[in-house]
Amino acid sequence: MTDDLQFNDLTGKETTMLEGGINGQDFKALFDAGMTWLRTNHQLVNSLNVFPVPDGDTGTNMLLTMQAAMNEVQHSGELNIGKMAHSLAKGALLGARGNSGVILSQIWRGFARSLDSVDMMDVNQFVGALHEARNTAYKGVVRPVEGTILTVIKDMAAAAEEALKTTSDLKTMLEVVVSAADKSVRNTPELLPVLKQAGVVDSGGKGLYFIFDGIARFLNNQPLDTAIATVQPLSALSLEQTKEEIEPGQDYEVVVDFKPYKSLNLEEFYSQLSDIGTSIQIGEGDGMYRMHIHVPTDRRYDPIDYTMSIGTVTKVNMENLLDQMNGSSDSSREPEIKFPEVEPGNIAVIVVSPGTGISRIFASLGAAGVVHGGQTMNPSTEEILHAFENLPTDKIIILPNNKNIILAAQTAVSMSVKKVAVIPSKNVPQGLSALLRLIPDGNFEQNVKEMNEALSEVETCEITQATRSVEINGVHVKEGEVIGLLNGKLVYSSDNLKQTCLELLKEAGADERERITFFYGNNISEKEVNTIIETVQIRYPNHELEVHQGGQPHYQFIIAVE
Amino acid sequence: MNDTENPYGNIFISHRAIATIAYQAALESYGVVGLAPKNFAQGLAQTIVKDPLMGVEVRQEDTAISIDLYIVVEYGTRIKSVSSSVASSILYKIEHTTGLTVKEVNVHVRNLRVSDTD
Repeated sequence: MTDDLQFNDLTGKETTMLEGGINGQDFKALFDAGMTWLRTNHQLVNSLNVFPVPDGDTGTNMLLTMQAAMNEVQHSGELNIGKMAHSLAKGALLGARGNSGVILSQIWRGFARSLDSVDMMDVNQFVGALHEARNTAYKGVVRPVEGTILTVIKDMAAAAEEALKTTSDLKTMLEVVVSAADKSVRNTPELLPVLKQAGVVDSGGKGLYFIFDGIARFLNNQPLDTAIATVQPLSALSLEQTKEEIEPGQDYEVVVDFKPYKSLNLEEFYSQLSDIGTSIQIGEGDGMYRMHIHVPTDRRYDPIDYTMSIGTVTKVNMENLLDQMNGSSDSSREPEIKFPEVEPGNIAVIVVSPGTGISRIFASLGAAGVVHGGQTMNPSTEEILHAFENLPTDKIIILPNNKNIILAAQTAVSMSVKKVAVIPSKNVPQGLSALLRLIPDGNFEQNVKEMNEALSEVETCEITQATRSVEINGVHVKEGEVIGLLNGKLVYSSDNLKQTCLELLKEAGADERERITFFYGNNISEKEVNTIIETVQIRYPNHELEVHQGGQPHYQFIIAVE
Repeated sequence: MNDTENPYGNIFISHRAIATIAYQAALESYGVVGLAPKNFAQGLAQTIVKDPLMGVEVRQEDTAISIDLYIVVEYGTRIKSVSSSVASSILYKIEHTTGLTVKEVNVHVRNLRVSDTD
């Protein structure tokens, strides 16, 4: 998935473009700026999705939609804004991903239609375009839900209409529109109870805000490639930490929770911290802030000292990054995964995998190819097709290993001339269980039948961290707790990994089973894994335990109980 | 019919109830602007008996539910994305509300509604 995200250079251009109106090339540059700013902040948008498990992707979907639009006009030197807008809208339509992407494509479609016969857009036409964008967006659904991106575009258009009475300057108008978007986004929890419960604003609305904010920033010559020192919701911080890279010279990660004596001057705070270290992130919680920074060994206490000078420090966490690096660099030196050769005419199995370790295991059990699920387990139909189209056989079986991918896999079936069957595995243990039944030179229908039967033989447990406080299936979950899912359903939550793990295994009926297989993810240390395994072994002394490095994101453990 | 156990007895959730959940979810799903009859014969029958849940079919094999949805999509949107969205939304809503397992959601795009030509 991340290969799709391109990183173009956006050098600040002189903003004389507003004189006389905006033409096709100007609009292309503005659109690009909006997209770039969204890209910089897309992970924040992803973190606003409302489910306890962190598989959100609104930001990514909207970004990919914008990118598809830009790809359509890559080589275009079109000066007429109407034509440029139409091309962008067409690109957005063809590449619209996810719900938010589709709505965004409708917004651009309406925008473009309004500029049909326009050569250069002035402020009146801009306002008209926003109205048409809103109308088209609302037409695409029978029951529009307020408190979403629809509300935001509606409020933006209304504010623009109002502002037309007092200004005819395009730049001022844009600022009004961005401010209205911001206000509308902040208000979304009042309109949609589930947002309020989760303590977040609407992700789609936020994405739209970033696009227009990016355009405004571009016109003000403000930078678009580095996220400014904005304060994020606390839950956004925990996501970032699992993905960041470690720069040379930064040995320690220091996280400080504190309450400032007086109102926090963000720019000042940020600039002081940038003198000390890098990868600075600031999260805002309930009446407190969390500061996160990477520093060299000799400065490891400086962030703590500085923070103590401006407020009360309540908690400090320090982690040695080099130690972590040594743990993970071993895995990066592992050899490439070797897949077994497919005998022409035999059955080939394609699997979707969330982690490298898991891919390796599938390969060792006979999978002919792997599609990487990535952070969001959202591979496209094309990626799945590509995995098997070139194999020397027309008998293909797909194991999606995730409920959401089953549909994409079935679409791949309809797009291929090969004989393809999808075994609806909802998770990795089911996929492994099915794969074990494979007889590559056997009868196709018989294999499909056996593999389907295998799915119900294994109990799957998954452990991850809740990014929200919610109540589901009668289980109370507090944000940050360790949650356990049995066959995809949330059944337990507690504040520590050991307890959740043991309870989850109990729910899965491990007492009546013989073997427990653990796949640990990229967000847990080997030391912690060993501690957990020891505990499990003590509790289940007669069971066979297996441990593998799965390398999957988000889930500390995926466990198969057989 | 299907049943889930609870300490006081059994719970049976009718296909009609499931269809209603799917129907409501579909109408809230972006890009779906209506639900359509499955074929001409059914459409003809509709003119005589107005079925409020037209466009949703619920089938059941053992404990697994299969849904077939017949929708009208707004012209100008990406049909593939709209279909995926409505399918996954229905799957989530049914499983979350009823606790039943949904085996598959099949989306049939019966028609496109053209609100504006581009």
